[in-house]
Amino acid sequence: MNSRIAHYWFVSPALVLMLLIFGIPIAIAIFLSFTDYSLGNKTFEFVGFENYFKIFTRSSYEKMWGATLRYVIVVVPLTVGLGLGAALLINSITRFSEIYKTIYFLPVMATLMAMAIVWQVMLHPTAGSINRLLSSGCEIDYIYNLFTLSFVGQEASESWYGSICNGNMPNWLGDKKYAIWVVCFVGVWQGFGFNMVLYLAGLTSVSRELYMAAEMDGAKSGWERFKLVTWPALGPTTVFVVTISFIKAFQVFDIVEAFYGFGSAGPSKSAYVMMFAIFEKGIKQNLIGVGAAISVIFLILVLSITLIQRFLVERKVHYS
Amino acid sequence: MNYDIGQPIKHFLLVLGAIIVILPFYSMMSYSFQSQGEIETGKNSKGEKAGFLGTQEKIVDQFCFKSNTPEKEEVNSLMLKMPGKTEREVYNILLKDVTENCLKKPAYMNYTQAFTKAPLLRYLLNGVIVTASIFLLQVVVALPAAYALAKLRFVGREFIFTLVLLCLLIPIHAVALPLYIMLAKLGLTNSYAALIIPWTISVFGIFLMRQFFMTVPDDYIDAGRMDGMSEFSIIWRVMLPTAVPALLAFAIFSVVAHWNDYFWPRVVITGDPDLFTPPLGMRVFKQDTEGDLHGPMMAVAVTIVTPLIVAFLIAQKRFIEGITFSGMK
Repeated sequence: MNSRIAHYWFVSPALVLMLLIFGIPIAIAIFLSFTDYSLGNKTFEFVGFENYFKIFTRSSYEKMWGATLRYVIVVVPLTVGLGLGAALLINSITRFSEIYKTIYFLPVMATLMAMAIVWQVMLHPTAGSINRLLSSGCEIDYIYNLFTLSFVGQEASESWYGSICNGNMPNWLGDKKYAIWVVCFVGVWQGFGFNMVLYLAGLTSVSRELYMAAEMDGAKSGWERFKLVTWPALGPTTVFVVTISFIKAFQVFDIVEAFYGFGSAGPSKSAYVMMFAIFEKGIKQNLIGVGAAISVIFLILVLSITLIQRFLVERKVHYS
Repeated sequence: MNYDIGQPIKHFLLVLGAIIVILPFYSMMSYSFQSQGEIETGKNSKGEKAGFLGTQEKIVDQFCFKSNTPEKEEVNSLMLKMPGKTEREVYNILLKDVTENCLKKPAYMNYTQAFTKAPLLRYLLNGVIVTASIFLLQVVVALPAAYALAKLRFVGREFIFTLVLLCLLIPIHAVALPLYIMLAKLGLTNSYAALIIPWTISVFGIFLMRQFFMTVPDDYIDAGRMDGMSEFSIIWRVMLPTAVPALLAFAIFSVVAHWNDYFWPRVVITGDPDLFTPPLGMRVFKQDTEGDLHGPMMAVAVTIVTPLIVAFLIAQKRFIEGITFSGMK
């Protein structure tokens, strides 16, 4: 008798919290995205789709899309590709595989805010160790020839590396030519170890017999075996890894705050990623309508990526 | 085993990758031991390579120096003891003393400044309070729900489980703004509650524990019921002990995520340093020192990053399991 009521007692805290933390906020976000609400204002007006319209037409949001899409398009393939590459290499070596695995997983554990600041110190235009390393290569002939491409007949001083050797040190974070790509680099540095571990888990489920069968069918080279056995067998893992990488890439925020933050999103807003826009518009400038609209767009993006994943999983997973 | 020509190439690639991955960790530690000059030039004052530990030549701690420069009264009282010397001379004697007292090894200086220039201990304590509270509340909410969803029959069970699966798809970033508005309306921003409440429900935790409980034989539960245990005590005295491995993995997942989280504290904590979590404190430290005190800043970074890294190195397998648990969905 009592236990019957207990059943509901057990789930009710979770149910209430799901409603409070997911259900109601989503409703609020959708509702506010059609208004010009600000915290502290007593009244607000419905503005229809104006906030959304702004996000897709105004030039300041063009920067947001530019930075976000650049980041996503670079970071997703690289974290997935490097994750897969590292997993395949580690899986195929006979010694030290545990050590590599541990090292590659370190950035996943480390506080990204702290590590991004370390990268910033290393990338300092005059005092950073990266530029120091670059300029020390200028004095070594073969490195100079290699990187300036003068060995294939390029004019050395006109090349990128040549201009560094002439004293034009790249300002990695302050130059809008580099800024977003450096943010991408740190994103890849941090993220690929996670994907590697997922791929390693996926690889343990590829059966030895399949490789032997492939070999008997004439798949002699490593590449052929990969194409015939490993890659198809990793299909479900890949779908999952790609999905989770997409969702994470849309959430990038820490690196931008570490590098620029507190008001700026990089030179000419070149690192004005989506989360930064939500934060800046919704919380700092109190333009909650716009912030809510970006949140809703973000949610729709994430949900559609997940739906595509589910669709692919339904269709493809069953062959194994 | 056949000699594999590919092995050296593979190791070469992996070592190359490992160097790039480790580089910032190496730099962070090395910088935290070095003086500003060594960090900026890679060399010590004699022009030699500074090395990992720096050369540890003593340098004057500017903060110590500034806060101890001789006061008028000190000079005056010393002048009484040293007749015949001018005020200037006495002042210089005192100044020399201060300078000598403020000569410190860079490593020592960086770490003392890290802990004194900002309430770093407070940040660490906040990190512990917040991550521990979040994990405990997550368990208190998730365990009974997971048990009910896995082992009890009641109307609406399937519906609730569907809701859990739906919420699993929603990243907290998407609801951050409305949550912030709700907390602001309740006057709860800038409080521990704001840092903790949004994370008290882990739909992932519910899902994970439910899947785990499904594998626990019903006999255990029936035995408990025969002994006259209430459903409530079955959860904590029968189910919880069986779930320790899964719970441990979830603990690692949860603690790592929230110790390192920056976005949410940044949203709800505005300006009250007593509530800063370690990543937020790190960011503010950088801001306050305008990024110029690289040594102390790196000492802060080392202090924040080390606890999890050390725990990870000790229990790698469990950590990798725990963090990639989300891969089991």
